[in-house]
Amino acid sequence: MEKVFVGIDTGGTFTDLVAAPLRGGRYFYRKVPTITADPARGIIQGISELLEENAIAPEAVAFLVLGTTLATNAVLEGKWAPTGLITTQGFRDVLELARQRRPHYFNLDIPKPMPPASRECRLEVSERVAQDGSVVTELNLDQVRQAIETLKEKKIETLAICFMHSYASPAHELKARELVKQLWPEVYLCTSHEILGEFREFERFATTTVNASLMPIMDRYLESFERGVKSLGIPHSPRVMQSNGGAVSTLAVRQRPVNTFFSGPAGGVIGTVGLGQQLKMPDLITFDMGGTSTDVCLIHEGVPAQKSERQMGGFPVRTRSLDIHTIGAGGGSIAWIDAGGLLKVGPQSAGAYPGPAAYGRGGEQATVTDANVVLGRLSPVALLGGRMPMYPQKAKQVIDRLAKSLGVSAIKAAAGVIEIINVNMMGALRVISVERGEDPRDFALVAFGGAGPLHAAEVARSMGMRHVLVPPRPGLLSAIGLLHADVRGDFSLTRLLRAESTHLRKFNAGLVQLKINGRQWLREEKLPAGTKTRFEWFVDLRYFGQNFELIQPLTKDSLTVASLKKLVSTFHRRHKAFYGYDLPLQPVEIVNLRLVVTALKKSPAAAKPVLPVGAKRKKLEQRLVWFADTGFVKTPVYQRDQLRLGQRFKGPAIVEQMDATTVVPPHCQVQNDRLGYLHLMLDVEKNSRSTS
Amino acid sequence: MKKAIDPIKSEVIARFLLATAEEMAATLMRTAFSPNIKERADCSTAIFDEAGEVIALAQRVPIHLGSMVGAVSEILKRFGLSQLRPGDMFIANDPYNGGGTHLPDINVIAPVFVRGQLVAFVANIAHHADVGGMVPGSEAAVCKSIYQEGLRIPPVRILNEGKLNRDVFEIILLNSRTPDERVGDLNAQFAANTVGTRSVVQLFERYGVKSTQEAIAGYLDFTERRFRAAINRLPKGRYESEDFLDGNAAGELCPIKLVLTVGKGRLHFDFTGSGKQLESARNIPYRALLATAYTVAKAMLDPEVPANAGYYRTMIIHAPAGSVVGPVPPAAIGCRSISASVLGDVIAHALSKAMPKQALAGSGPHHLFVLSGTDPRNGVYFVDYETVAGGMGARANRDGVDGVRVHASGSSNLPAEALEHAYPFRIERYALWDESSGPGQFRGGAGVVRDYRVLADDIVVSLSSERQNVASPGMLGGGAGACGAFILNPDTAHAQVLPSAAADIALPRNSVLRICTPAGAGYGDPKKRTIAAVQSDVLQNRITPEYATKVYLEGDRYES
Repeated sequence: MEKVFVGIDTGGTFTDLVAAPLRGGRYFYRKVPTITADPARGIIQGISELLEENAIAPEAVAFLVLGTTLATNAVLEGKWAPTGLITTQGFRDVLELARQRRPHYFNLDIPKPMPPASRECRLEVSERVAQDGSVVTELNLDQVRQAIETLKEKKIETLAICFMHSYASPAHELKARELVKQLWPEVYLCTSHEILGEFREFERFATTTVNASLMPIMDRYLESFERGVKSLGIPHSPRVMQSNGGAVSTLAVRQRPVNTFFSGPAGGVIGTVGLGQQLKMPDLITFDMGGTSTDVCLIHEGVPAQKSERQMGGFPVRTRSLDIHTIGAGGGSIAWIDAGGLLKVGPQSAGAYPGPAAYGRGGEQATVTDANVVLGRLSPVALLGGRMPMYPQKAKQVIDRLAKSLGVSAIKAAAGVIEIINVNMMGALRVISVERGEDPRDFALVAFGGAGPLHAAEVARSMGMRHVLVPPRPGLLSAIGLLHADVRGDFSLTRLLRAESTHLRKFNAGLVQLKINGRQWLREEKLPAGTKTRFEWFVDLRYFGQNFELIQPLTKDSLTVASLKKLVSTFHRRHKAFYGYDLPLQPVEIVNLRLVVTALKKSPAAAKPVLPVGAKRKKLEQRLVWFADTGFVKTPVYQRDQLRLGQRFKGPAIVEQMDATTVVPPHCQVQNDRLGYLHLMLDVEKNSRSTS
Repeated sequence: MKKAIDPIKSEVIARFLLATAEEMAATLMRTAFSPNIKERADCSTAIFDEAGEVIALAQRVPIHLGSMVGAVSEILKRFGLSQLRPGDMFIANDPYNGGGTHLPDINVIAPVFVRGQLVAFVANIAHHADVGGMVPGSEAAVCKSIYQEGLRIPPVRILNEGKLNRDVFEIILLNSRTPDERVGDLNAQFAANTVGTRSVVQLFERYGVKSTQEAIAGYLDFTERRFRAAINRLPKGRYESEDFLDGNAAGELCPIKLVLTVGKGRLHFDFTGSGKQLESARNIPYRALLATAYTVAKAMLDPEVPANAGYYRTMIIHAPAGSVVGPVPPAAIGCRSISASVLGDVIAHALSKAMPKQALAGSGPHHLFVLSGTDPRNGVYFVDYETVAGGMGARANRDGVDGVRVHASGSSNLPAEALEHAYPFRIERYALWDESSGPGQFRGGAGVVRDYRVLADDIVVSLSSERQNVASPGMLGGGAGACGAFILNPDTAHAQVLPSAAADIALPRNSVLRICTPAGAGYGDPKKRTIAAVQSDVLQNRITPEYATKVYLEGDRYES
């Protein structure tokens, strides 16, 4: 029986499912509504339909990956489980003090976020460890016992143990954990050194407490999901996409739900990495634009950029994740005029309901989609392959109203809406490229999501980027990406010491500890025998006195006098390359030791290009489309599934397909390559490079 | 006739400039050295038009909102347009001569040229941990004149067509107790401006110089119009308020007095009647006054208005020369951000009278202390500049925020774990201060308690504060917040309250320094507080049942 891989991308409105046999390049798709009340149920139903419809035996499913937004939604809606915290004497308010900043400098009505563990459920015990791991005050186990009793009375469901400097010595957290397990085996439990072995108490405590608060929710969800998968007759247990782009066992996610905040958008990034391998294009920027938000991520030499901290629900969550930058701007973003008379777009969105006025579902406000309809970019007849009728006159009405208040023509207003949403997109792209020291012009832009291909060419051009890629199935790239995910775990440990040979023993002991953690995790992943694994080692380095670290790879799992010296000299060189200066006389510190464990797995072959279908050589449809350079101009409308492989044509053009519409501006060269990817080559001014 | 400005292009260009300012800030924080900039983000970046009006500001600290106002015109006055060259950068820190609001804030400003034409300036401001003077950290309330506060730098060239002016650089380094840090931080400031210049040039080349300038001018006009609309929602009239700074001697007070006139699309602030400038560092220099007025007005009237010179135009601010809010040289000004919090209360109080539904009661400003000495673990001399937040006042519709910076102050704290790695102290307690909040229908935000155990032999501390004698005032029957305090060896037989302002107090090894910061005041009669809110405060141990009975329950005993 041929093995089949299944990917499930849960979105806010719809869930996309994709199944692909390991060989042959055949892909099967299905779209089902997301049931927010009981997310697992809708998905199981969808899998069952997908398999049945395409006559795939459940036993054939060898790998099933879920991209989930459960943790993100729980945080955004503040739906934590009742959470307790046991912490060091004197520190129970760390979570409320945060960094002492106001959530917003000027808006005084935004309160500080409420921690998942409310104050009466944060209990202190006498214990103290110093920054070097030495014990200042022994752990008072009686107080831990009392705390457990109190928290039982408070009926908390889940518990975080967070002690000062536990990354330097976890002994006290381990002792307390032991006692909790013994006296209260049914409570969900995590400790700060396990979840984040790094210094800075607020960030570590917050990450750990947020993690604890999500454990019961994630556990129940995955429990129900796994049961459903089993009931379908699928023999293998499912995996879940993490924010770092690796898919792991449900067990790992139940213990560390904080690792899944970017589970959804990570699929698109991994899908793009796969695409880059297939096309031999290692430097790409993803541009995933949907109805309410847009995600962008930079991929350099085939490796997506990573980030170690994100804000979730107002709390810093430090876990390794893909550096996906999200902005609240998409096709449904609403255009409005501020009190001074300036045109603004977003962040409010019309969502799917009522949606843009053009959908005819009662939307009354002008959105980006309406502007696209007025300018002829989106079909005035229907979207989704004819399934969703459009009401261009309604779009015209709302844009007219906007234009009137601005005192400009409807066309100028619509073009303005597009220009402003595009400049918002540029802002997002700048954050992940220019602000990180990367030149976007060295990258191609990969457009996907429902609205990505509509805006990509103009956004790319204004960034000086020449090349835009539109994958064959822009709306489904995220789901496809899930099939390509490897299994990956990230581990870190703070060893904040000068990079000098006197500390070698401490560094090496830390590396050994990480290896133990990594192997333990690998065992729990229960991978098939013979799975290839890879251990990669990194250290974070900085100048003594600095506070931002550069991450640097280690070639081996231990350090010697010589390799430490080399590490330091490489650091000086990289600092100079990155920041423009180095300080050869300044001592260098190691901050964190890092380990990435990857278990490599097979992926389905790339999709075979779809050959033109339907009536051939039908006369090319045309409609009037507006472009900044030309105004309205008669523009051919191609159907994507009728494009020949290798076909070339020139802009202006519109390419329509079931899940997206691609806008090709004038003077742009297009090629539908042999694999079915659309390449848009833009006429960026040749001298634009000289300006930076 | 005035040319109609394109509301779309203005928005596009403004977005781009804001992104550029953010990019500069990212560079500055990424490459800076001292914890003050990196951990506490005590820095801001800005872009000015060619006339020196702020057009985009990426601020990390609100007091920087007005800090660079006038900096460009001071440069132009001294050097003249013809002497500016691409690649030049200017440095300044003197509040009386084109600098910021106190000496540790060093401004670095660069003119931006497109094809030989001056089109803009990019600038950034960073708080340096030490620029010399009589106390480590260059900031202590006890300083009597600005000459005691550190090196004064008028606008001078620090980069000459891209080349470092080593002469000036060396003078700055020699005057700092921590010169290595200064090298790193100044380099970071230069790098931020380089990044900013590159982006601004790109923008002007894309849209053309004339068209970009028009769009920028239009953007400032739009901002002005927007804020005028917000002002016009207030009832016109005169609104008065008054509050007090601690004076020079114990028990002495210094008034800050305000008559606010709300006119058509215009706010007029008149501080006539405020006390004379003090012989201490509590004075509020002009730009700190502007920054505080800009911040509080924006927060109360239209928090989302873009931070640029467009809305500054709607405010006229008068402070008599020689007063505590209009000091003249050589008045010391180092601790202006603490006094500016009290000033912020005065402004908020007057505005509250014009907009009672969004009224804001008095707040507890942060306290400042600078610990210095030798770290026995490595023999290195260090200066640990820290501030701990107080609590925000209650509003007419909600409790004040606990443990938070207020008004123009905005930097963040130093994590205890980072501190213990860097300096020889152990934090034994870092907590919200229970029962410190001013009671009321809506209570004030709590102050903070932080205890430092000293683990070295030669530690000295300098202390600066406000609201250790005059509590944050409550509103409409709400109670005052608790006053702050510095206490040596608290909870022991020889506990000792330290002065509210002092320099060079020796802290013996193993002693404990406690910082208690002042809390926010309450709004409305405490008896009107909902039972649920009182119960929640008791449940969360913010107040005891006894306190609840006494303050909130009109004699009814609190029953849980």
